[in-house]
Amino acid sequence: MRSVHLLFAAIGLLLASLVASLLSLRGGAPWGEAVLLGLPLGLVYAAICIAARYPCRAAPLARTGVARVASTHAAASLLSAGSWLLIGGALSRALQALPGFDGAAARFADETPTFLVVGVLVYLLAVAVHYLVLALETAREAEVRGVQARVLAREAELRALRAQVDPHFLFNSLNSISALTSEDPAAARRMCLLLAGFLRRSLALGARERITLGEELALVADYLAIEKVRFGARVEVRQEIDEASLSCAVPPLLMQPLVENAVRHGVAHLLEGGTIGITTRREGNRIAVVIENPRDPERPTSRGEGVGLANVRDRLRSLYGDEGRTSIRANGASFRVEITLPAVVLTVPSPVPPPAHGESAHAARAS
Amino acid sequence: MPHGPHRLRAVVVDDESLARKALRRELESDPAIEVVADCADGFAAVRAASEMKPDLMLLDIQMPRLDGFEVLEMIDPAIAVVFVTAHDEHAVRAFEVNAVDYLLKPVDPERLREAVGRARQRLGRGERMPVAALAAAVRPPGVPLARVLVRDGPRVHVITTDALDYIEAQDDYIAVHSVGKSYLKQQPIAAIEATLDPARFIRIHRSYILNLDRLSRIELYAKDSRIAILHDGTRLPLSRAGHARLKELL
Repeated sequence: MRSVHLLFAAIGLLLASLVASLLSLRGGAPWGEAVLLGLPLGLVYAAICIAARYPCRAAPLARTGVARVASTHAAASLLSAGSWLLIGGALSRALQALPGFDGAAARFADETPTFLVVGVLVYLLAVAVHYLVLALETAREAEVRGVQARVLAREAELRALRAQVDPHFLFNSLNSISALTSEDPAAARRMCLLLAGFLRRSLALGARERITLGEELALVADYLAIEKVRFGARVEVRQEIDEASLSCAVPPLLMQPLVENAVRHGVAHLLEGGTIGITTRREGNRIAVVIENPRDPERPTSRGEGVGLANVRDRLRSLYGDEGRTSIRANGASFRVEITLPAVVLTVPSPVPPPAHGESAHAARAS
Repeated sequence: MPHGPHRLRAVVVDDESLARKALRRELESDPAIEVVADCADGFAAVRAASEMKPDLMLLDIQMPRLDGFEVLEMIDPAIAVVFVTAHDEHAVRAFEVNAVDYLLKPVDPERLREAVGRARQRLGRGERMPVAALAAAVRPPGVPLARVLVRDGPRVHVITTDALDYIEAQDDYIAVHSVGKSYLKQQPIAAIEATLDPARFIRIHRSYILNLDRLSRIELYAKDSRIAILHDGTRLPLSRAGHARLKELL
């Protein structure tokens, strides 16, 4: 900004010498008179040209038609040069009132047509400079915004991937397998297969940018099947799945961490366990995903509980801006997260309906 | 507690039934160990500790209602405790609270035997857990206490700090007053003061800590002597230092 002002100051000084030269060489004005008129007029016009930034900003080249740009600046240049000449006229008359400057007003008036042309040309030069500066500023802002957005998106993705598979989930699952090996070898083998399936699916889905909600629900079903082995009847699931939502695109591992929270911070702390509710809906051009769970009202909330949720919120914001919303409704005994995002149908690969694990899931899907 | 030829009496505490079964099976493979109870939550563990008087407790950390550290605070310090957890970040705290040992899930049978061996040695020496240090170490650093636990025989009362009116020192005990009832707990008043949120709980007297929300008004009782009057009409003495602390907060 400062360098632009310096540039205009230089233009002002050049203009001052041009005006003084014209008055003196063509109009035959004495040098003292020419300089006394030329210097203030040059600087005043420099200030007017700095102000030309505002009509330039009001008529940005990228978004304004040629006719409008031309007419705006034609009018503005005539207005600026005209005002400039009025000031010059007033100044020359004021000078004439002083002793020794006889005929200054007439000499200035003689050069008026030349000054008008000069004024319009200098104004148009200023317009060109302003458009250049504005273009540079826009480019720099866009670059900064782009970098910021990329950094945010990257951070959110990294956090999401790091949180992808909670190591404690793995250790606890291995503990269940270890316990089952002597108790029920067939069940131990089933649990190994479930765990392998979940890991394979989460790696495959996590590597993609977008997956279908159906694929995400299948991953969630794998996860819940494992937790049902660990917690037995304490983990129940009720699903209400809108078929129309299954082919919509979601970022991978969007729901799984939330369902994991519902187990870890919700039903796992209830002696009798509880039912985790999973609902998806397609509402016109948006989809909604709701995960709700009961929780122990007497348990003090531990730190770290909000981390998974904050990750999901950040990810949605970086991917969808204001279009990705997360809302939380929590009271003493229950917790509910609702995510809504734009419904974009993902064509390849074809949607996979989630396998329903457990009777309660079947019951809800039948209803 | 007599030891030597008699079998080690053990309690297994874990909220996952598979984990409990596996530990029980592993322990019982040693004829010198008898598993006298298995418990699915912290309350049951405290009850079993009180009623069964075990020598050894295998204690999960993340459990419903009371977690493993809270259970440890509530039980007889003569019981040797081995923590069993999938979270190795708990291991450091487990040592801080002077548990005999900790085992990571899945449990290695060899490590379990070592832990039982260490527990036997400790029981032989008659070592006890330092309860006062425990109470402070159990709390994650920087987080004020959210609830006070008081053991009453085999039962545990949970008093959330919101429901806590005031605490009164009585010799080696404190009386925790909550909605018209009072609960005795063996803990120095300074120790509990250090764990409560200092913005809400004020030491108004050598023997009293007050929940600021319960204060109705302060009255001049005699020259230079004041009393605090609570919303329910309870009158508590206010020391000069306590009055200064109160004035600073109000």
